[in-house]
Amino acid sequence: MTLHLTQISLTHANGVQALRGVDLHIGAREQVAIIGPSGAGKSSLLNLLATALRPGDGELQVLGERAWQLSAGQRQRLRARIGLIHQSPPLPPRQRVVTAVLAGKLGQWGLGKSLLNLLYPLDIPGARAALARLDLSDKLFTQCQQLSGGQLQRVGIARVLYQAPEVLLADEPVSAMDPVLAKHTLSVLCSHAREHNVTLVASLHAVELALAHFSRIIGLRDGQILFDLPASAVDRELLDTLYANEQLERSPPPPAHLSVQIPRC
Amino acid sequence: MNRLFNLALLLGIGAAVIASFIYLGIDLGELGSTGNLNQMGAYAQRFLSPDLSPTHLQAIAHGALETIAMSALGTLIAAVFGLLLALPAAGRFGWPLQSASRLVLNALRAVPELVWAALMVLAAGLGPNAGTLALALHTTGVLGRLFAEALENTPPEPADAIRLQGGNAVWAFCYGTLPNLLPQLLAYILYRWENNIRMASVLGFVGAGGLGQMLYVSLSLFQEAQASTVILAMLILVFAVDTLSSWSRQRWVKA
Repeated sequence: MTLHLTQISLTHANGVQALRGVDLHIGAREQVAIIGPSGAGKSSLLNLLATALRPGDGELQVLGERAWQLSAGQRQRLRARIGLIHQSPPLPPRQRVVTAVLAGKLGQWGLGKSLLNLLYPLDIPGARAALARLDLSDKLFTQCQQLSGGQLQRVGIARVLYQAPEVLLADEPVSAMDPVLAKHTLSVLCSHAREHNVTLVASLHAVELALAHFSRIIGLRDGQILFDLPASAVDRELLDTLYANEQLERSPPPPAHLSVQIPRC
Repeated sequence: MNRLFNLALLLGIGAAVIASFIYLGIDLGELGSTGNLNQMGAYAQRFLSPDLSPTHLQAIAHGALETIAMSALGTLIAAVFGLLLALPAAGRFGWPLQSASRLVLNALRAVPELVWAALMVLAAGLGPNAGTLALALHTTGVLGRLFAEALENTPPEPADAIRLQGGNAVWAFCYGTLPNLLPQLLAYILYRWENNIRMASVLGFVGAGGLGQMLYVSLSLFQEAQASTVILAMLILVFAVDTLSSWSRQRWVKA
């Protein structure tokens, strides 16, 4: 078992209960899509699997280790084996794409390599190869702030592909892309997972994409698992229950804008 | 009632102005009399013929170089120690260290450069050593505080993402925080360097080296010609640094 959740509950600092008593088992090399209305807890669940959030209750096992019973150093070593694709990748606006991608391996590199890479990108071919799979190899030396939202998402994906983790978690990885690109990007993710024996868990708000690319679908609503079925068994009726009374989708928060104050006297 | 109060206030201010003149014994009439105007003219005249002899120009070039070196080194030292103190001051290592480093930064900043210079002249002796130390001490306080504020305003998400991939705190800082922070730090450093060059040319008055010391010596000996050359050199220096600094900020910081 790669991911093993037993009776997990999670309450955010603002008092919102994001997950209630979730039981979930995902085996090695499985490809799972999580769908559900906004605010159902999809992001919370993925952040929890990535050990970014600590569950209030229950037990989380990732890659056979109890993540929150490890020492801080052991947990960092575990985290180097987990890759999380963020919905809006938190990349420094002035960082070059090549550095942002190479930063994926910081958890695995030693002191000297990390330091040298800060001065000069050490593995340009590696970064180029990761970007080439997503049709972005021409943007290798561009600054992140010059990219569009969809391009930035692909840089975030390239970084995780370069990290080469054993568990790949993706939080709405294609939300800012057009349908054709979204389809292509998802198939890149799935084939990468197949080729490298990686467990893939992705949350998606486009149901058709989830059904087309993933074999196992988990429906999440109000912090609880509504259904956990193979893609072929998911029908219209189930989806209607899942998305019943969905409020208008909240737009994602705008990316943080960086401003430089230059003192004048 | 209101008008009466305003009138009383106006009368009070008038009385205070007259009382000040009487107390300080300033006679403005004296300023306009012909003899004094002639004297002022003569004094200004002596400054209008700067000493441009090669030996003096050489001495001034040496002094200007010393001033630039003092300010550059002082700012560089301050930038290093400012960043070291800014990390705890931004609350990265818990609140006890935060309060302690803020206290240190405030104390360094509260004492002006001239006072630091006077103290350093006693500690390190006359000359540019004392000036450099004085600039470094005051500027550490200023830059440390500015850096700490910049650190607090930098979005934490990029660094958190690197921690989440197993990177340690140092690399999270270098790869996640620093790229956003660096232009701001550079802008602050250039700005303070500009200030420090102006300050360094004055620090000589308390014996801390540079152009200021030359000006002080010439003025003490009533060598107006030499003094006016030094003042000219200061003007040129400050003008050049302003230009260089604004050019480099446009070049590297791109606001």
